[in-house]
Amino acid sequence: MSDAHLVLEALEKRFGAGPPAVAALSLAVQKGELLGLLGPSGCGKTTTLRMIGGLAEATAGRILVAGHDVTTLPPHKRDMGIVFQNYALFPHMDVAGNVAFGLEMRKQSRAEIAAKVERALAMVHLDGLGHRRPRELSGGQQQRVALARALVIEPSILLLDEPLSNLDAKLREEMRTEIRDIQKRLGITTIFVTHDQVEALAMCDRIAVMRAGSLEQLGTPFDIYESPATPFVADFVGRINRLDGARDGDGDILAGPLRLRAAKPGPAGRVTVMMRPHRLHIATDAIGPEWNSAAGTIRRATYVGDVLACEVDCAGAMLTVERHTHPGQPIPREGEAVNLAWRVSDTLAFDA
Amino acid sequence: MGKALFHVLVAAMLVFLLAPVLLVIPMSFSADKVLAWPPSGFSLKWYAAMLEERGLAEAARNSLVLALVVTTATLAIAMPAALAIDRWRFAGRDAILALLTAPLLLPTIVLALALLIIFVGAGLLGTWPGLVLAHMLVTLPYGVRVLSTSLSTLPASVEEAAASLGAPPSSVFRRVTLPLMVPGLVATCAIVFLVSFDEVVISLFIVGPQLVTLPVALFRYVESRTDPLVAAVSTLLVVFTLAIVLILDRAVGLRRAVGK
Amino acid sequence: MPIASRLALALLLPALLVNLAVFLVPMGNLALLSFQQASAGGALLGGFTFATWAKMFGDVFYAELVLDSVTIALSITALTLLCAYPIALFIYRTPERWKNLLIVACVSPLLVSAVVRTYGWMVILGDGGLVASILRGLGMVKPPRMVFNTTGVVIGLVEILMPYMILALIAGFGRLNASLEEAAASLGARPFTVFRRIVVPLTLPGIMLGCLLAFVLAVSSFITPKLLGGGRVFLLATEIYDQAIVTLNWPVAAALSLVVLVIFGIALLLYGRLSRAIA
Repeated sequence: MSDAHLVLEALEKRFGAGPPAVAALSLAVQKGELLGLLGPSGCGKTTTLRMIGGLAEATAGRILVAGHDVTTLPPHKRDMGIVFQNYALFPHMDVAGNVAFGLEMRKQSRAEIAAKVERALAMVHLDGLGHRRPRELSGGQQQRVALARALVIEPSILLLDEPLSNLDAKLREEMRTEIRDIQKRLGITTIFVTHDQVEALAMCDRIAVMRAGSLEQLGTPFDIYESPATPFVADFVGRINRLDGARDGDGDILAGPLRLRAAKPGPAGRVTVMMRPHRLHIATDAIGPEWNSAAGTIRRATYVGDVLACEVDCAGAMLTVERHTHPGQPIPREGEAVNLAWRVSDTLAFDA
Repeated sequence: MGKALFHVLVAAMLVFLLAPVLLVIPMSFSADKVLAWPPSGFSLKWYAAMLEERGLAEAARNSLVLALVVTTATLAIAMPAALAIDRWRFAGRDAILALLTAPLLLPTIVLALALLIIFVGAGLLGTWPGLVLAHMLVTLPYGVRVLSTSLSTLPASVEEAAASLGAPPSSVFRRVTLPLMVPGLVATCAIVFLVSFDEVVISLFIVGPQLVTLPVALFRYVESRTDPLVAAVSTLLVVFTLAIVLILDRAVGLRRAVGK
Repeated sequence: MPIASRLALALLLPALLVNLAVFLVPMGNLALLSFQQASAGGALLGGFTFATWAKMFGDVFYAELVLDSVTIALSITALTLLCAYPIALFIYRTPERWKNLLIVACVSPLLVSAVVRTYGWMVILGDGGLVASILRGLGMVKPPRMVFNTTGVVIGLVEILMPYMILALIAGFGRLNASLEEAAASLGARPFTVFRRIVVPLTLPGIMLGCLLAFVLAVSSFITPKLLGGGRVFLLATEIYDQAIVTLNWPVAAALSLVVLVIFGIALLLYGRLSRAIA
């Protein structure tokens, strides 16, 4: 943590009485790192971002940037670039005016501002659109202006508040790579708030999953997806099958009619078992000891082009299986009897 | 710090805005002969004095009757007009609406003078028909505007549904359109009533020695004398207005009635 | 459902007749009246003459009257804007739940007759009134006179016009939103810069609408100048009343009315120009 650029120490935000919106949140972000704050709406991720940016006051805790305490600094002294969910472009200024605003506040010379604005607009591929008004731009272009405006001031930290949520699906993917490329090129420490797990997994160096104001898990996208710390994280990040059961003294788990083994051992007692649908297979061959298996009947098969999802009734336990489609493979029929198999290492068990 | 300053400023401005109305109420209980603040004592004597003023009581009665007549007449004329404006697909529609609401855009002092001159020739000065017509100059625009807005926000599909179920146009209006318009109608009544009841500039030009309205009587009283009697009348007027607004709110919900 | 033209005409007829009788004909008559001759006693003699206008243009009193009215109306407009703007901004930023309550509170004075509110100002500003007694309490021996002069008229009218201004301002604040102010702050703008560079420009449509409304209402106001002016403040509307009711000089009253309408027209024209300029 010696190299941490942004540190949150036991940060807390309360709005009146009731449970805090953000509670005892501690995080350290490395220089140049892109950290995602991921969680459902109301989990406190935007409030956290607003506290970092100085738009909301922390009721307790500290925010440190490069070792300096900025907790009580007003936003205009924080030197952070913020990209707002609705972009917040000034409607009474043209694109160049928007981008130049932060530089004007820093009393830079006209020539300097003009050059920097031009470079910033080129960086986001908006060369030549400096004289347009924000409302004359498409959603994607507005997004780029917002990004250029936040970056041109060369902020110490970049804060992105759901920046892609107002774009259509195709544009969103495009901007995802673009933002990530620019962020890496500039090496700027970035906090990225999103409720979209795909976005978080695709863009971030590390992800902080939040729930009800607290940090649920902090880790790389790989950690978060493959080794979720809690059922909440497993459920929120990607689709998952969930079974409730109990572990006996031998480490075997009984979930309804199924007897399973999990990746990690644990004490006897109630457990929740979770498996990703695409790690389940419709078995054709005999299976080895490192596999769990279940026999069942296909209740529904949904074909969505690249993926085929089957809901299988395993004596009362409903499991979803997903696989990529191949032209040679037939689509299973409803009512067909099948055997399911999945690796023990893909079987996550959480003590209840 | 800046925020606190801003809040103090807002509070001060709100006090400034509400002070005259709020101060009139304690003033009405003054025991003094002249307007003085703070009063040397409190009493009900100005309420008693108010009842003694024969002219005021008669003016109040006149205003009440006038406002009721004006409201009825305005509704009877504005309702068909609003219906025609809303339902008639015609190029001159906007022009007609503009003409009917134009008096609201002009200064009342000018309207009052124009009416005075015409009424002198027509012998309408100081008469009931004259006052009713004069008030309708300002109430009709309100009536047409509010009612046509209220009509235009009715979902067209409900009327079409009624027609498809076999209702002839007159039944559609009676059974569907009119009931749906109740909030708009109540709002129109309240607005028109209050506008007429409070109207003073035009009335000042039109009233005669035998026929005076309450605002005119108050105006003349304040012009000649400044004592707490008017405060007593004003307090009653504030209470009266408040009662109308509350009844309106209870009846249809103020926001629903005034909102679009 | 669309209705037939003939029915529509029949439905419109009563309203159009009333409009004709109390609006079109009287206004047309008024416009012509300033060009008619009148006898000394006030009787109209008909004919066509520029005598009234010539007399008014030749009399410095009328030039001063117009100038005074416009100047006072402009200062009232500016003061009303200054007083109403903080309230409007505050209301605009208030959460929805409280917003409506505050708007009702600010608009409620409109339900009270102008006579009553002007009378309220006499209670406050009069010689034995609230302000005078406070000033005496602070040790001032002879507090300045605040009624029956321009000061009283200005104070009273500012308060009376504030609800209109507040409503117009709030209606014109649509482009303002919190994240724009936050964005400006995050880019390094101090609170006052945010106000000057973001809040004011974005609320300009509301400011202009409110000023137009306040100005036309102020320049044609009658009750408050008459009562709080105590006959010592001469403005266009009070002069129209005096000429029409006291002096019975209708051609002059009519001519002054046309002057008021021309001022209205100029104000509207300016408003339209400025609106287009900032759009």
